[in-house]
Amino acid sequence: MRKLLKKDLPRLIEWLKTSYLLYGPTEYGFAPIADHTPELITPIRPPKGIFFPQYQVLFRYDGKVPKSKGIGLFGVRPCDAKGLLILNRIFTQGPYRDNYWQDQYQSGIIIGIGCNQPQPTCFCHWFGIGPFGKEGCDLFLTDIGDGFLIEAVSKKGEDLISSFDPLLPPTDQDLKRRDEIVARAEAQLKDGIDPKLIKERLDNLWESPIWGELAERCLSCALCTYLCPTCHCFDIQDEEKARVRIWDSCLFPLFTQEASGHNPRPEIRDRLRQRIMHKFNYLYLQYKEAGCVGCGRCVIFCPVNLDLRELMRRILDEG
Amino acid sequence: MAVKNPYTPLPCRLKEVIEETPTIRTFVLDSKPIDFEAGQFVELTVPGVGEAPFTPSSNPNDPEKLELTIMKVGRVTSALFELKPGDLLGIRGPYGKPYPIDSWKGKEIFIVGGGVGMAPLRSLLLALLDRVRDFKRIYLRYGARTPKDIVYKRLFPEWEKVKKLDIVQTVDVGDETWKGPTGVVTVILEEIPVNFKNSVAVVCGPPIMLKFVTMRLVEAGFAPETIYLSMEKNMSCGIGKCNHCRLGPYYVCKDGPVLTWDMIKDLKEDPFL
Repeated sequence: MRKLLKKDLPRLIEWLKTSYLLYGPTEYGFAPIADHTPELITPIRPPKGIFFPQYQVLFRYDGKVPKSKGIGLFGVRPCDAKGLLILNRIFTQGPYRDNYWQDQYQSGIIIGIGCNQPQPTCFCHWFGIGPFGKEGCDLFLTDIGDGFLIEAVSKKGEDLISSFDPLLPPTDQDLKRRDEIVARAEAQLKDGIDPKLIKERLDNLWESPIWGELAERCLSCALCTYLCPTCHCFDIQDEEKARVRIWDSCLFPLFTQEASGHNPRPEIRDRLRQRIMHKFNYLYLQYKEAGCVGCGRCVIFCPVNLDLRELMRRILDEG
Repeated sequence: MAVKNPYTPLPCRLKEVIEETPTIRTFVLDSKPIDFEAGQFVELTVPGVGEAPFTPSSNPNDPEKLELTIMKVGRVTSALFELKPGDLLGIRGPYGKPYPIDSWKGKEIFIVGGGVGMAPLRSLLLALLDRVRDFKRIYLRYGARTPKDIVYKRLFPEWEKVKKLDIVQTVDVGDETWKGPTGVVTVILEEIPVNFKNSVAVVCGPPIMLKFVTMRLVEAGFAPETIYLSMEKNMSCGIGKCNHCRLGPYYVCKDGPVLTWDMIKDLKEDPFL
């Protein structure tokens, strides 16, 4: 554990930029940090698109795709760091590895920051993350007012930070202050739900009227899947001179439509159910963890105000 | 060593196109860019148009060529039907799990196909015929819409000469040339002359046919774990990442494309939808 004074933050940023193409939060998403010190806000879009771009050229028929430098993400919230970890597992485990993801994610570095002030829409604690969850980070920062406490979470993080000089040893006062901040933030996240119970209850709800009722409101617009830190449906298509990978969504009607026109999930009801089953039942079955990190983006931005937390509570009540 | 990129197709060229029916053609590649076992599929690229999943229809043991029998139905297949010998294609794979042919030694093998579903079954059939002594008997039950729609008309006479192979065909609607049974494929499944205790069934065809054939096979006496169903989905990546082919907890591309009835009979999601 070390301490960085706030006045030295620009030095840390500049120093990280010597090794990485460094991205930091902006209102709409993570973007390359130019010559400013980023404001440590939570962007509308999670950082998944940095390693898994919404539009990505896989190869060109008429040339090579240039390789980019290792990417550093600065100021990643615990939910988003965990989201990246979940995606990493999906993309790299099993008989095949997705090397586009693997090359980018594994050559990168994740510098997380704790959430002193969780929002009313945050429910990361349901999934064992919490406002100071460090899983998926290489370095982790805690804002203690006059500075940040910096913790190396991985060996990569330790190796990196050990050669950055302007760090101080934290005082007892600093550590006490950190403990107070953590306790205050954690106390704001109450009433958890056990994802294992959700998984089990979903086993009984395939034919439930819940899906039809939700479908009456859901527009099938897929905004929730685009903003979700763990959603990763994609499609592979050809342009004239390149093969590209683009984000897709299980909520889109064409997602499962076969060339013959046959579609196994023609109704919004079918597709909503698929999304919830995949995240909270099938993924849990596979990894003992749900495909949700409780970031609250789908709750905040759903155009028809569907609230995933209400749905989870209904699932527990009715399953 | 660099990790092999599973998304990169290998280049290959079209050698020959054989018209099987008005809408189905066999595309013969000029080499065998990848090895496969019966039941596995590949992603075939038409450069600049896209790729689509197909199960090869040629003998997996043939070291020299790879054939795919394809129905013209969508964007990629329409572009494929415009190609001429010598044109460039791409291929990646193989993906999915092969039929466990080794575990079928000494058994009777009951194969049911419908329409272009005969394409992957031909690959299986040829692999089985290569070691026909290993099996007690092989049955092929095949249904097409009309006599004109029968795939591999040119090959059936040869197969009919094989002593251990018992073939019955039907068409939904016959014509003046048709002497055999008429009706959907289940009409030739009323009699299933196998010992169910020592047999496996393999089915490939459109979803509706899979459903009714499976029901008939179960009713006749096949155990759920002995019924192998070739599932069809709108697959994209082929490697269990993109989620297009999700069926309950399975990825049809990675866990299939052939799944036993035992694996899917209790799924909440209807596998035949």
